[in-house]
Amino acid sequence: MSKNYCLLRIALLIILVGVAPLVLRAQDLLVSGKVTENDSGASIPGVNIVVKGTGQGTVTNYEGNYSINVPENAILVFSSVGYVTEEIQVNNQTKIDVSLVTDITALSEIVVVGYGTQKSESITGAISSVSSKEIAALPVPSIESALQGRVPGVSVVNNGSPGTAPIVRIRGIGSISYAANPLYVVDGIVVQGGLNNFDTKDIASVDVLKDASAAAIYGSRAANGVIMISTKKGSDSGLHVDLNSYVGVQQAWKKLDLLNTDQYLTYAKTLLDNAGTDYPDRFSNMNTPIYEGADQTYAETNTDWQDEMFRNATIAQTHLSLSGGNDISKFYSSLGYFTQEGIMLGTEYERVNFRLNSDHKLSDRFTVGQNLLIAYDDRFNEMISGGRTQIKHMLHSIPYIPVHDPTQDGGFRASTAEDASNAENPVRIATMDKSNTQSFRMLTNAYLDYKLFDGLSYRFNVGIDYGLARQNITLPIYSDGFRSRPQKQLQKTHTITFSPTYTNQLTFDKSFGKNHINVIAVVESQNTTIDMLYGGGAFNSNANQELAGALNAVTSSTRNAFRLISYIGRVNYEFAGKYLLSASIRRDGSSVFAPGKKWGNFPAASVGWRISEEPFMKNLEAVSELKIRASYGLVGFNGIGAYDWQVIINSNTAAIIGGSEATGSYFDKLGNTELEWETTKMWNAGLDLGLFDNSLTFSMEVYNRDVDNLILQVPTPPSLGYAQSTTSNIGEMKNWGAEFQLGYGKATGDFTYNITGNIGFTRNEVVKLATPSSTLTAGQIADYGDNITRTEEGHPIQSFYGYVVDGIFQSEDEVFSSPSQNLPDDLADYDPSKYTGPGDIRFKDLNNDGLINADDQQYLGSYLPDFNYGLNFSANYKNFDLTLFVQGVQGSEIYNLTKFYTQATPRLFGAGVEVLDGWTPGHTNTDIPRMIDVDPNRNARVSDRFIEDGSYLRIKNLSLGYNFSENALQSFTNGKMRKLRIYVSSQNLLTLTGYSGYDPEVGSWNNNLLTGGIDYGQFPSARTFMAGLQLGF
Amino acid sequence: MKKYNIIIILVFVCMNSCKDLDILNPNGVPESVYYKNETELTTAVNGAYAILQGVQLVDREYFFLHDLRSDEMSRGTGGGLEIPRGEVLDGTLNATNYVMNQVWSGCYQLIHRVNAIIEKGAEVEHSDIRDMRLGEARFLRAFAYFELVSMWGEVPLYTEVNRFLDDTQPRTSEDEIYAAIIADLNQAQMDLPYIKDIGDSDLGRASKEAAQTLLGRVYMFMNDYAKAKTELDKVISSPSNLRLVDDFFSNFTEEGEFNDESIFEVGFSEIGDNNWDNNGANGLGNERSVHSQEYSAVGWRNIIPSEKLLDEYERSSKGDTKEDPRLHMSFLFVGDPINNGTETLKDSDVSGLTSTFDGEEIKISWRKYSILYKEGPNGYRNTGINMRLMRFAEVVLMLAECENELDNPIEAINYLNMIRERPGVNMPPYPTVNYPVGNKTEILRAIQHEKMVELSGEQIRNRDILRWRKQGKLPSEPISYFQARHALLPIPQTEIDNSDKLTNADQNSGY
Repeated sequence: MSKNYCLLRIALLIILVGVAPLVLRAQDLLVSGKVTENDSGASIPGVNIVVKGTGQGTVTNYEGNYSINVPENAILVFSSVGYVTEEIQVNNQTKIDVSLVTDITALSEIVVVGYGTQKSESITGAISSVSSKEIAALPVPSIESALQGRVPGVSVVNNGSPGTAPIVRIRGIGSISYAANPLYVVDGIVVQGGLNNFDTKDIASVDVLKDASAAAIYGSRAANGVIMISTKKGSDSGLHVDLNSYVGVQQAWKKLDLLNTDQYLTYAKTLLDNAGTDYPDRFSNMNTPIYEGADQTYAETNTDWQDEMFRNATIAQTHLSLSGGNDISKFYSSLGYFTQEGIMLGTEYERVNFRLNSDHKLSDRFTVGQNLLIAYDDRFNEMISGGRTQIKHMLHSIPYIPVHDPTQDGGFRASTAEDASNAENPVRIATMDKSNTQSFRMLTNAYLDYKLFDGLSYRFNVGIDYGLARQNITLPIYSDGFRSRPQKQLQKTHTITFSPTYTNQLTFDKSFGKNHINVIAVVESQNTTIDMLYGGGAFNSNANQELAGALNAVTSSTRNAFRLISYIGRVNYEFAGKYLLSASIRRDGSSVFAPGKKWGNFPAASVGWRISEEPFMKNLEAVSELKIRASYGLVGFNGIGAYDWQVIINSNTAAIIGGSEATGSYFDKLGNTELEWETTKMWNAGLDLGLFDNSLTFSMEVYNRDVDNLILQVPTPPSLGYAQSTTSNIGEMKNWGAEFQLGYGKATGDFTYNITGNIGFTRNEVVKLATPSSTLTAGQIADYGDNITRTEEGHPIQSFYGYVVDGIFQSEDEVFSSPSQNLPDDLADYDPSKYTGPGDIRFKDLNNDGLINADDQQYLGSYLPDFNYGLNFSANYKNFDLTLFVQGVQGSEIYNLTKFYTQATPRLFGAGVEVLDGWTPGHTNTDIPRMIDVDPNRNARVSDRFIEDGSYLRIKNLSLGYNFSENALQSFTNGKMRKLRIYVSSQNLLTLTGYSGYDPEVGSWNNNLLTGGIDYGQFPSARTFMAGLQLGF
Repeated sequence: MKKYNIIIILVFVCMNSCKDLDILNPNGVPESVYYKNETELTTAVNGAYAILQGVQLVDREYFFLHDLRSDEMSRGTGGGLEIPRGEVLDGTLNATNYVMNQVWSGCYQLIHRVNAIIEKGAEVEHSDIRDMRLGEARFLRAFAYFELVSMWGEVPLYTEVNRFLDDTQPRTSEDEIYAAIIADLNQAQMDLPYIKDIGDSDLGRASKEAAQTLLGRVYMFMNDYAKAKTELDKVISSPSNLRLVDDFFSNFTEEGEFNDESIFEVGFSEIGDNNWDNNGANGLGNERSVHSQEYSAVGWRNIIPSEKLLDEYERSSKGDTKEDPRLHMSFLFVGDPINNGTETLKDSDVSGLTSTFDGEEIKISWRKYSILYKEGPNGYRNTGINMRLMRFAEVVLMLAECENELDNPIEAINYLNMIRERPGVNMPPYPTVNYPVGNKTEILRAIQHEKMVELSGEQIRNRDILRWRKQGKLPSEPISYFQARHALLPIPQTEIDNSDKLTNADQNSGY
């Protein structure tokens, strides 16, 4: 089948190329002028000027001047973020000065949609745009982080130490068994993996395609939304050098109250006394030196493990760009350096990035251009030891244990047998054990535009995404008095990602009278291979850095190859600028599905009506823009493994036969020859309203998103014997919601300000799983015993599930007369140190059977918030500028395991001061249960005791800047310096939350599925203070 | 000219995009072309042993589940024992218990692996090696089903590979499962070699005697002592010259692996780390056992011998004529020699709780499988010591019980005394002051005593208690928390939730 398509395509192309020279060429004219601001008369740099109906265009220079070669009858479209777009008929004029009306709400801008651009007023889908200024406002390494709070319906959650990609979800959760990441498209190329390597300062705009009609052009991969990123282009107004630099300091914005040495001893004795357990030996030897030859004793030691782990961390970025050009060639190039230490020891991120974008007009018909990113980054991850977060180790460490001990191999100490406690020393882990990933990324594309005849153009685009990641894990030899690692472990993983994309596109764009039509036809293919090579081994010396001569050396490699072939068509039709229609279809063939199931069709359509353009609205002067829109479409998802339908023999195991490893083989999953596309059906309705020349704007969206045929890793009953689940189209899930955006701007004399706010509501429900009783549970760690989340039909994905606290038992009588929790059959055997006793938690007997057991669990809440919101206020007064950006979520729940660590320790560990408030016969007015080793009542079981409201409101950014006046600068520097701005800024200055853990922004630890909102002690967000300057020459 | 160039470029691009969408997984051989010859069968059988060796089974959860359900164990560190393990120890476990779930899953993954071997191996060209591998597969399948049926009762029975999601099985009667186990072990006996014929490079593979020993266990569990005796007699008279070794403790050391007393053991080696290798799929190079780290005096010491077990050992304070040397061979007391006798274990080396032994408070820990016999107290680690699943002493003790049940007291007592009179143990023969053997019940008591002290911590007693309880042979209930439901473990909730053949109504009663 694909052969036929192929031949067809070749034939089409031959015809096109043959026809092209027959088409006549219009006369060109050099037009120039200056673009100024309507109210102030100030020149506007960076205004996009496009010849309507073509890709041809230019940008104003820093004085607002431009010049462009255009056909004499062309229409020039002047657009810039923050201004109302103007269209001007050239009509043989050679000088056209334009003054643009301020449009604070940025409604009228050019929006990058898939395979083209569109004016925002013509848009009929749900697309939100974010300007380069907003993207660059925060000192964050990635574009994803910069999007937080900017777009309604887009949730961004910090998820780890610096350089870790945050979790981005557009309009809810689209998948149960896979990460529901959006598709990222950079300069028209679908990129692999995250956006860490992109410098936010190189970004011209970000457009988020949220509904099916907007996203369906990326059909098969668009189910979780599409984020379109455009990088900066050069302008033809001479050479410009810009320098942008800041330096700042970050710190933890919150610490917990932990026990000091005296408090710890008091607590530990209570805990052990209640269980009838002896004290650790250390308690009677507190006055011995902490190590042989030390002056200090254990009693004199009072380690604040939080102070040892948290630090003031630096953050700095420098970005230097050089851009310029003439009417033939334009370029933008930049060099950026970003460095960020984590606020906890051992974490760090560093990046160097280089960009070169250029466009060259070879002739009136041919334009070529390229974009190139080369980036190198190095990330030191938070180390995970024993499957526990560093915060968990930190909270569990004992205050009388010193951090360092020079008598130990490696120089660190941890609690030992004598302490009857075994937290690992987090400082040792952070300082000695290293896991870093160095990656090299090259993303490049080159295109050729060929204008066949008026309105019809052909584009060939080739993109290459190449990534080389080198992960090094170094685990040196040490002994901390208890644990030891007798051999150094070295593990290296090299991953090469290579993904070329080839696109052939025809665009027809023309106006006939009141009709405007835009048609595209695209054929595209993308081949992605990911090759991984692993080597690991051990050494008897810490000196070895590379694997040569390793003991027990192990190597392995894997290759994952994906292929996608696509045919795309779209028609946008506009009548009289008020009736809008868009229809598209994408046919995708993907290698990941079973034979015969590889092809899928993804159609979408949308309509819009600009009511404000109707004659009957013209007398309503206040209404400058009123549009209603509706869309419906199908989008797909193929983000599954490369070979999920296939069954292969694994040979990655061994048994010890005859004293040495004998390779073993097996197969571990059920294949699925029926595996096919997952389809999301989505409708969207929207309204855009602009009042008073768009100084007040409002837009809203409502949507429904149904995932049918949901690809699920179906958990097989364990008795089938497959450790891996089967990938199958079996589930169904739904997300629905609404989004609102409001903006207001005003300029009076020297003072201008604008306010924008957005809010997004999303609801989620799992409609169907493999079997009606099927449940997916997650969040279990051996330390806690139970699973924390449950995914079941009729409930939001991964809801918290457990027992309900009903107070504290105040007496033995109450224990005996209440539903039985943990009591002996014969009360004669009762002993409060072994069974439920006074001071323990009474759980609710939900089914009233007089017994507290697994049937007394219920749904306790969801990590999904009721709504997300963002509020941006910016103002200028004379040369000062001020920005205040507030972001928050409301109504999310967090399962707070840091509370478990600090006040529910069923084992002897360091803890929080709350444990001193535990119930005792003499202290009954408390909601903290008695402290008892072993926890016979299981007070620490999964219950609403650990569920907290995760709502927060955060001042994400507050910055104040001063712009030196252009005139003063010019005269002072002999016209050399064009711009100088200095600013101070703070991120996360203030967080209002009732959450008692370190940070309410709790992602999903290790990106484990179905564990969102469980705070295992994830790396918290930092508070940052910084100062910066911007220079322009 | 230009346009032709373009055409060439475009055609090239097009050719590229017209590539086939059928990409086969290059990371392994398709299942459909595997299991075709002796070599592949051998590798596949190794894969089955690997899962037996994994964390779900013998590397961790198997010994925990058996040990924690017996009366041999106590907490070593108060709250140090992880919650799911504590639940097994305290009898509070439910259908979501992690330890139990792991053993269930491990057994069924083992069964799946061997089902594929047995199903496809039948088509491989006949040879002795092929039959041996099929025999090993059958032995392993019987081993797994015996674990399941003896601890969970009626369980789903699969003897072929499942090809479809709705191919799940409901609970199958115990009779059918036992019939399948017996059929497998009878066939395996014919196919497997004697221990003496297993070469050094194949040590760790199942033998005829292993199949016979397992079948003996099975028949005894089924209350059929005559058939059990038939099987166990074959082991006694095996040409492999199995015997009780003089050095009792050498059964639990690296140096004593595959000694003359060994019938079946699961291999470990000091290769790589432990890696908590779940199902044997974490790659090569993680072949260490975690037993020493979990139980040893220096280590987590989460589990220590129960005072009841310690008290079972004969010694003068109880009126016995001699202290049983197996006490200090099985357990490490503070003050005992470690590190090849070059050091003694100090109180400060050991964390956690003391035991009351003969009125004295002292820290006593497991010595079987502990690395301390040849190392000092410098930290703890996982080890390369094999786990001995079957040894000749158990066969002798099982035979003693069979003979007693079949009313052959002389033979029974002789077998008991074989155990006691071997040089390293050298205990006075029965009858003794505390263990008269004048009648069948007294002999049974002696057997129960002898089995407890000889095989402590070897994952034998849990099933003995289940069996003796069912057959009414226990003098008193040994498990303090025992209620009727504890006779069987609950079917894992994940099994019930994800199987279309099971609902909560199918759960064992009391859960």
